[in-house]
Amino acid sequence: MKPIINETLIDLSLMATDKKTAIQDLAKQIQSDDRLNDYDSYIEEVFRREDLSTTGIGFGVGIPHGKTDAVKIPTVAFGRSVEGIEWESLDDEPVHMVFLIAVPEAAASNAHLKILAALSRRLMKEDFRQELMQSKDEASLLSQLNEIFEVALQN
Amino acid sequence: MKVIAVTACPSGVAHTYMAAEAIEMAAKEAGFDVKVETQGSIGIENALTKEDITSADYVVLTKDMQIKNETRFSGKTVVRVSVGDAIKKSNALMKKLQQHYDSKNK
Repeated sequence: MKPIINETLIDLSLMATDKKTAIQDLAKQIQSDDRLNDYDSYIEEVFRREDLSTTGIGFGVGIPHGKTDAVKIPTVAFGRSVEGIEWESLDDEPVHMVFLIAVPEAAASNAHLKILAALSRRLMKEDFRQELMQSKDEASLLSQLNEIFEVALQN
Repeated sequence: MKVIAVTACPSGVAHTYMAAEAIEMAAKEAGFDVKVETQGSIGIENALTKEDITSADYVVLTKDMQIKNETRFSGKTVVRVSVGDAIKKSNALMKKLQQHYDSKNK
């Protein structure tokens, strides 16, 4: 099974300065790793969810997500923006860390929710947020993130 | 001292779990026993047992959403906080609980 996140799916210096472009850029990386059946309908689903309520959960973190048949395999892409991206977050602060989540409709029905729950919990730890924000070591970030996600999906 | 809590938020995707983690972290730091039930979109996890409730000194409930089965806490000392305060101010909350506990058990 492919890991949930890999080196193709991590971008430690996002160029995008707005939410829409940031989501599109990360989704293109998911697409380029052959994890989507249909880029357009995946993006449409993510924006539909975004319109329901903001995914800016505070602490500089955004967790846009889409669960749809347009996705082949459960995936998380991570992007970091030093400048910050306006996300209409609950705390009105810009987003510096974006986790774009893609889960197939057919996957265990709550796979994306489990990933989000585990990620939300870990984000409360300040040292984890600092590492996400500052680390230049992609390999170390990847192995930590994969571990969190794999444990989440086993439970 | 033992603190139990139930967290829930409108979308049940992130803040329920952030609040749970924040309460757990703050309670452990304060040296309390703690157990937090989450009522999120995955369903109820880490459900509080009768024994948990009986042995708890304080019950913390988030107030953004109706907590399921709230009647099980009748007769207990219940503290209601917003999810946002649970996430950001759990350390202060634990301090207050400790003060309350100390003044009651002098």
